[in-house]
Amino acid sequence: MNEFVKITFRLTLSCLMAALVMGTAFIFTDKAKKNNEHVNVHTTMLSLLGYSDLNPAPKELKLYSLYRYIIEEKGTTYLGYMVPVTESGKESYELLKLNLEGKLVQRLPMNISPEAAAEDVERATAMKEALKTEQGISYQDRTVIARLGGQRVAYLLPGKFGGFKTFINVILSLNPEFAIRGLEIMEHEEDPGLGAEISQNYFKNQFRNKSFERLKSLDVIKEPLPDEYRAYLNAPDKMDKDKADAIIKQYGEKDIYALTGSTISSRSVTDGVKNMVKRFAYRIQVLNDVIADQKIPALI
Amino acid sequence: MAATKKTNSQLVLDGIFLENPIFRLALSMCPAVGLTTSIKNGLLLGTAVLFVQVFSSCTIAAIKNFIHPRIRIPTYTLTIATWVTVIDLVLAAYVPDAYKQVGLFVKLIVAFAIITMRLEMFACKNTVSASFWDGIGMGVGFMFGMVTIGFVRELLGSGMLLGYDVLGFKPLLFFVLPAAGFFCVGIMMAMFNYVEVVYNRRKESNS
Repeated sequence: MNEFVKITFRLTLSCLMAALVMGTAFIFTDKAKKNNEHVNVHTTMLSLLGYSDLNPAPKELKLYSLYRYIIEEKGTTYLGYMVPVTESGKESYELLKLNLEGKLVQRLPMNISPEAAAEDVERATAMKEALKTEQGISYQDRTVIARLGGQRVAYLLPGKFGGFKTFINVILSLNPEFAIRGLEIMEHEEDPGLGAEISQNYFKNQFRNKSFERLKSLDVIKEPLPDEYRAYLNAPDKMDKDKADAIIKQYGEKDIYALTGSTISSRSVTDGVKNMVKRFAYRIQVLNDVIADQKIPALI
Repeated sequence: MAATKKTNSQLVLDGIFLENPIFRLALSMCPAVGLTTSIKNGLLLGTAVLFVQVFSSCTIAAIKNFIHPRIRIPTYTLTIATWVTVIDLVLAAYVPDAYKQVGLFVKLIVAFAIITMRLEMFACKNTVSASFWDGIGMGVGFMFGMVTIGFVRELLGSGMLLGYDVLGFKPLLFFVLPAAGFFCVGIMMAMFNYVEVVYNRRKESNS
């Protein structure tokens, strides 16, 4: 019996010590890791807009973040949009509370800088202060609006949807008419060699140039991907202009060619992208109307 | 085995040559065969193993009187797993690009025979400083083995060194395949044995 107690005690103590070491390492590296993710998302967004190290983004390009919340208050559901605004040259945020019909209920000023708003904790605190309650606030998503010289050039939507096994995280880039500019798969756990092919150029680039109207009826077809289309999809920017135009003309309006052996993954991505765009297009139009109606000095 | 009487420099040199984990002890053959298609892979994994080996050896040497003899293997595994997690977190945070390539294999270090074996054979019977030098020797020896095999396979298999095209053609595609790992390890082992035989013969004729 004594032996049992001894062994249990020593093993427990060893486990606790191990936990302590691992916990310390986690605390020290967590910040750097999060920072890496931020940088990764930022570079991906720039690359979706067509900028890279070789072709750096112009200084006039500004990325503004719009945050969406759902607010439950006394049994009623409201939508809360954290909209970036400018007041006498200073950038801050304003919270627009909309009811489900899309009518403005309340305008609440928020005292938070764009840099602070990017941090989850600080944004939650600011929301709490603005609404004077912490109940029923739930964060939904973030949209990045790219502006170049006062014009909206693109929407960037980080989002996730169900895949074959678990969620697929993506960033979608839309032009102001909601046509797809590009799709990037950030994180997924599809099967290697099968569903994992969704992150290959020849699959994800099929979404490029699909217009909003075309997207509404977009489907998945089980046909082999034509060789010339595959060559174009693998390196769309490297092909010479005339040839690329001819291929876009021929295949641009086609449905999505399913990956061999991974129809479910292909369909999940197609449906996920479709839903993201449709919902976003509706929401942003409602928000645009409110902003124009109330003459809000919004930056988006 | 009683506490070692070797000096520190001897411990390190033994780890690299006389007791080289891959070529002499024939331990941890899976990574030596599977992951050595390029020098870079070998170097990164070797570095990770070096750190895990040194940290684990020191930890076990420091707490050797506390470990109950009946549960020493679980304790070793726990120690190794802890340090592997720490290295994994650090790599993911500070060298994300390299981590993308070897991330999957870093977690596998927990199961590398060489580390457990070294804790059982050496660290639990010796002082912290001796274990530290033994860990360095074993880690560097492992890294040396991985890099050498990686060098041969990368040069012969893809005609490149450290990712740079040095030959301009691919001499033997076979060397990229896992099976070629066995050939490389076998030939290197034979070389090590041959050197030992020659060395011993000279020693005899001198005396």
